[in-house]
Amino acid sequence: MAFAPTDETITIDQLTRDPYAVYRRLRAEAPVVTVRSIGRTLLTKAADTRAVKDNPALFSSNDPNTPMQRAFQAHTLMRKDGEDHMRERMAMTPTFSPANLKTLWIPAYEKLAGEYLDRLPRNETVDLFPALAGPLAARILAIILGIPGATDEEMQYWSQALIDGAGNFGYADEPFARVDACHAAMNAMVEARVPLLKAEPDQSALSVMINAADPIPFSQVLANLKIAIGGGINEPRDSLLTVLYGLLTNPDQLDEIKRTGNWSGAFEEGLRWVAPIQASSRCANEDTEIRGVDIRKGEIIMTVQASANHDEELFEDGHLYNALRPKTSHQSFGSGPHHCMGTHLARATIGKIILPMIFERFPDMQLVEPEKVVWWGFGFRGPLSLPVRLN
Amino acid sequence: MPKITFVSPDDGRTTVEAAGGDSVMQAALANGIEGIVAECGGAMMCATCHCYVDEDWLSRTGAASDEERAMLDFAASEVRPSSRLSCQIAITEELDGLTVHLPEAQI
Ligand code: HEM
Ligand code: FES
Repeated sequence: MAFAPTDETITIDQLTRDPYAVYRRLRAEAPVVTVRSIGRTLLTKAADTRAVKDNPALFSSNDPNTPMQRAFQAHTLMRKDGEDHMRERMAMTPTFSPANLKTLWIPAYEKLAGEYLDRLPRNETVDLFPALAGPLAARILAIILGIPGATDEEMQYWSQALIDGAGNFGYADEPFARVDACHAAMNAMVEARVPLLKAEPDQSALSVMINAADPIPFSQVLANLKIAIGGGINEPRDSLLTVLYGLLTNPDQLDEIKRTGNWSGAFEEGLRWVAPIQASSRCANEDTEIRGVDIRKGEIIMTVQASANHDEELFEDGHLYNALRPKTSHQSFGSGPHHCMGTHLARATIGKIILPMIFERFPDMQLVEPEKVVWWGFGFRGPLSLPVRLN
Repeated sequence: MPKITFVSPDDGRTTVEAAGGDSVMQAALANGIEGIVAECGGAMMCATCHCYVDEDWLSRTGAASDEERAMLDFAASEVRPSSRLSCQIAITEELDGLTVHLPEAQI
């Protein structure tokens, strides 16, 4: 057998601007390939990305050589395996229980969504990225995490700083300095809430974690909250903008969805079309083999779910948004033990609440110059703006 | 090898052979059964592998654990007393002939 071929031509810039063209070629020519510019082995076929994530015994989440630990000032649950991972994940899961979603978070979101839509100006161009999608995602998260005093701006600023730090593979100074300043602010915000939530516990993530019978160390309480801040704003934001773009550029589909009310289907298709988290890395625990290619122990594998979601074996014309697609099962929430904790929350809030609400309020919403919308990102991906006209 | 039959909501029946030790979810995925999505790959974190165990088999598959019940609350279709997460049913020789019914939706 042979090790993965090495591709010397693919650049990070290409993967940031137009990754789907690269992945389409890789799926056909080299579905297991080491890309020199990023120093990792990419998997681009759906069966492979899924098999790796579903086999945590062989493929660890602990990629030791990333800036993530430095950026988060912690070894977080996302990078842990087995029992250690489960303990930290379970500490937060009660917050996301079906009962809490139903009685607390969904009603809270519904009210917020109405308020944020009320604020949007009519009859002028408004960019829904900063005016709706970002702040709304930030607000509901601050409430669920138990830090409602954090402003929308703070939440978004912290989130971006954590993401930029975790993606700072060149180990430049600025992103780490910026995220360090955010840690000071986040820690202060959280610590101030602790006595209040000890006195009056609620179902927020902070409260549930500190009031547990056998609590995890406070360092990991902070780390869990920061993973949620870093990973709970831009995906809901980007997926909402993506679905809106998909529907507004395909008016026939939009009409049909309005008729059937299948907003959840439109949402799932948006997630499939442009996965907000495009790739997740895993580390091989032993020498092994994927699709006939040898993988060395310690090799870092990037499972590219963005590419899996366009795999020709599963989807016809996967590069097109099609809300009426018969089957939309995708890997955008990941798979295996690290499967996204926010899945049910995102499905309920975006798929069932905000999408129908927007089109009910603004049935004639128009995209302004759709050709100017820029899509951006390799690890995380979404549109950089979504200018619309509401009337 | 034990045989498992999946019955779709429109009464279509598919019988597959399953490797002992696999879960019913794994047998479904390995055989391209459409009605089982299993997003989390059997980690009991998604509830997209929901199925209804046929009445005749309920005593042999056993009941869902408390954690499984809690996760079933996330299922997209109605949860009934016969509801299970198929990733939590391990296939044994005893279950040869098992019939499970698939729900209308998993997401
Ligand atoms: C459309 C929205 C979302 C998408 C597409 C998404 C996607 C993902 C993906 C792909 C992973 C797995 C990463 C891996 O395997 O390494 C993940 C993990 C995670 N997500 Fe989400 N996410 C979304 C929303 C949210 C929200 C709203 C929250 C918080 C409230 C959240 C919290 C988490 C947490 C805590 C993890 C880590 C789980 C673990 O490591 O066990 N996500 N998400
Ligand atoms: S596969 Fe996710 S709960 Fe069974």
